[in-house]
Amino acid sequence: MEQFDAIVIGAGHNGLTAAAVLAGKGKRVLVLERSTSLGGMMATGTLNGVQLPRLAHLLYNLNPVVVRDLGLKLDAKPVPTVALSEDGRHVVMDGAEVRFADGTAHPDAAAFVTLYQRLVRFGTLLGQLAQAAPPDLSGSLSLAQAGELGALARLGLRLRLMGKAEMREFLRIVLSNAQDLILDELADGPLAGALAADAVRGAWAGPSAPGTVFSLIYRLAQGGGAALPSGGMDAVVSAFVKAAEARGATIRTGAAVQRIVVEGDRVTGVELADGSRVSSAMVLSTAGAAQSMMLAGHGSYDIEAVRRLRNFRTKGTAAKVNLVLSGAPKFSGLSREQASGRLLIARSVRAVERAFNPVKYGEASKAPVIEAVVPTLTVPDASGKHVVSAVVQYVPYAPDGGWTDTARQTVIDQVVAALDRFAPGLAAMVTASELLTPADIESETGAPGGHWHHGEMSFDQLLSVRPANGLAHYGFGPAGLYLAGAAAHPGGDVTGAPGRNAALKALKEMAA
Amino acid sequence: MKDTRHDLPPEHVPLGLIPTPFQPRLEPLSRTKDWMNWAGYISPAVLDTMEFEYFAIRNQATLFDISPMHKYRVSGPEALGMLNRLVTRDVRKLAPGRVAYVMWCDEDGMVIDDGTLFRLSETEFRLCCQEPQFSWLLDAAWGYDVRVEDESHSVAGLSLQGPTSASVLLEAGFEIDHLRPFDLAEAEPGLLISRTGFTGDLGYELWISPDHALALWDRLWDAGQTWGIRAIGYHALNMARIEAGFIAAGVEFQPIHHTLRLHRGRTPVELGFAWLVDFDKGHFNGRRALVAQAERGPRSMIVKLDIGGFKPAADALIYYRKKREVGHITSAMWSPTLKRNIALAEVRAPFGPDRTKDLWVEIYLNQEGVWQRRMARATVLSQPFFRNPRARATPPAAF
Repeated sequence: MEQFDAIVIGAGHNGLTAAAVLAGKGKRVLVLERSTSLGGMMATGTLNGVQLPRLAHLLYNLNPVVVRDLGLKLDAKPVPTVALSEDGRHVVMDGAEVRFADGTAHPDAAAFVTLYQRLVRFGTLLGQLAQAAPPDLSGSLSLAQAGELGALARLGLRLRLMGKAEMREFLRIVLSNAQDLILDELADGPLAGALAADAVRGAWAGPSAPGTVFSLIYRLAQGGGAALPSGGMDAVVSAFVKAAEARGATIRTGAAVQRIVVEGDRVTGVELADGSRVSSAMVLSTAGAAQSMMLAGHGSYDIEAVRRLRNFRTKGTAAKVNLVLSGAPKFSGLSREQASGRLLIARSVRAVERAFNPVKYGEASKAPVIEAVVPTLTVPDASGKHVVSAVVQYVPYAPDGGWTDTARQTVIDQVVAALDRFAPGLAAMVTASELLTPADIESETGAPGGHWHHGEMSFDQLLSVRPANGLAHYGFGPAGLYLAGAAAHPGGDVTGAPGRNAALKALKEMAA
Repeated sequence: MKDTRHDLPPEHVPLGLIPTPFQPRLEPLSRTKDWMNWAGYISPAVLDTMEFEYFAIRNQATLFDISPMHKYRVSGPEALGMLNRLVTRDVRKLAPGRVAYVMWCDEDGMVIDDGTLFRLSETEFRLCCQEPQFSWLLDAAWGYDVRVEDESHSVAGLSLQGPTSASVLLEAGFEIDHLRPFDLAEAEPGLLISRTGFTGDLGYELWISPDHALALWDRLWDAGQTWGIRAIGYHALNMARIEAGFIAAGVEFQPIHHTLRLHRGRTPVELGFAWLVDFDKGHFNGRRALVAQAERGPRSMIVKLDIGGFKPAADALIYYRKKREVGHITSAMWSPTLKRNIALAEVRAPFGPDRTKDLWVEIYLNQEGVWQRRMARATVLSQPFFRNPRARATPPAAF
């Protein structure tokens, strides 16, 4: 039987990061990927012969420590965010700077900048928590425990150092809802709507839900802003793969793990779908939390843990619509530079909230919130065709009546129609389209419920309780098994942080 | 499920306590009318006098109605796997037709409850216990191909205990000679007899459908007349329980699902049941926490004490060198059979079976309105207070 020091399940950014960190320490690492392509949610697809980002299309939150540790060389260009407005008065956000697309001043610019910079400051504070395992508060007060409390103490100190007023403001807003926070400072409209949409991206929540301020702050942990990697997400995948392989990790695709083998409460390897086994004393799973539990067998978990993992909320609400256009779309009122940025259709905070309502009742939004990118405006495709990559919210995992062809076409038509309003003629240029519903995303990537973050990023599912109380420190049941994907702290987005933290934890326990 | 608790239609929610299937026989036997609430059922605390009833347990045969016990049937192809994850013992070693005393813990290794597990067949089990466990068992059953049924109201139970109990059963026409302790047999269709009990003596438990409960009672009662049969209440049984050194939920330990304060739970090891924990059988609930505790050592231990003097030490505190408080008494009594002042107690580490010297119990006595404080010497015992070879003899002799 083949033997490795560590097996990583899943070749997404977290799996590849974990593999690179482990291999970097001289461990023999095998990465097993179920699908035939690498990168998981970052994977590139093709539609009608044109390459496009199949799911994720931008980098927001890539953890700088991961970039440093893996030596990732990424050429990513920060792109402006454009909040599209029905009246043609589109708003462009470039970093903290806000203007109308035509260059005129936005009346809320000063208020926005104050709010945004404050959220970024808070995000930077919380971001430091992402670089290590969450604080373990389960033990008694001891010297070892003091180290755990140290991270929290440092956070408290940094909060305090921001000054009394800032600290009070942090505590006032951190558990509240994005809608109230945003509308306290800004008039409702596309600018406010853009912030609200960022607060709930991928979430089963509208901006009026408690905890959405926290998820907004969390999203701004690396300074906010989105970046379009040159070479597309494919280049990002390649960089991660290169980092892992350069350190000696072996990567296998088309290798689905059907069971994590546990003997005497200790991991001894994995069994693949073809029945073959690979032995290893250490397995890091980047599958969802409940999925990882089932791979190891629920009997290897305490009854309470099984109950918590069963109830870990993973209802995906974000779908992906990819379009191939025969020519370049022309967005009225936007320069080519602006049109190649991140385009948001979120008319107002109220509209985002209204878009959420239908999904609660098993229906897709009729006026969905859309984050669209036209990557071919930045790097043209050789064929001269263009692609639109759109994250569409809110789309249910299982609509009433099921995902019929009609139901699928309705979602695509709505997205095309919504884009066509801002880029007249776009609808006529569509030569191919595809919809990836949350159910499709689940079957393609294994993300439970098709949830972009492998589980709701709400306050009750973060930090020391992600994915569940007692399982938040990467160690996942039997000795030698670790949870290393987005279901572990600090959660989703292309960060690499869960994979890195889990690998470091595994190395530490291996040495002990 | 047929509602057999009372004569009211099933949709009628009964108010107050409800009668067990044996209440029509217990009611006329009760001189004291001293009833108590056991899991919502009317249950006798004492029927005649506690002393008569206690001596009947030790010298004759006694009937105690255990219908209020919670009973759960677990059946299905994966029942064994599900139960083996639930309890700390290795259920694979429990053969069909056998009964095992088991404990089950929460994720922190704290005891939720203890009880008896009956293996009815390869794939069928019955769990009997004090505390309601249905929702916990449903949680424990998730992912297993099993069916969990609450049989608490559909199985009546009768505990026949005492030196002449085997003779009563034989007289009544039941072939139970071959039953070893913890054996289980279907004596007649629909009637299970197990050689189990809570007295430390020879005894049996009988399990039957409520419809046939009264006929069974009458049959035993008639057969038992020459063997000195008596019906008893809880207090007499509790005396026998303490003599046997058995722990009781809510007394020696607090079932963890009922505790609100931190650190009130106890592990099986801390209750003196390290032998019930099988670390080699694979994962079971609380195993990892118990492994960690095995390295640190228990925080406290339940011990058996022989106390000087004859004044029962109920609720007393325990001192080391008469000065340092190190524990407390959980159950105490003057044992009429042993003529000793006995008690079960919890002592904090490092006191326990291995460190027993210089322990004292502080007993307060109210002598006709005047309080006295006595320090009585306590000796830790390693064996049950009451042991009798007849409890283990197969076939049991007639006494």
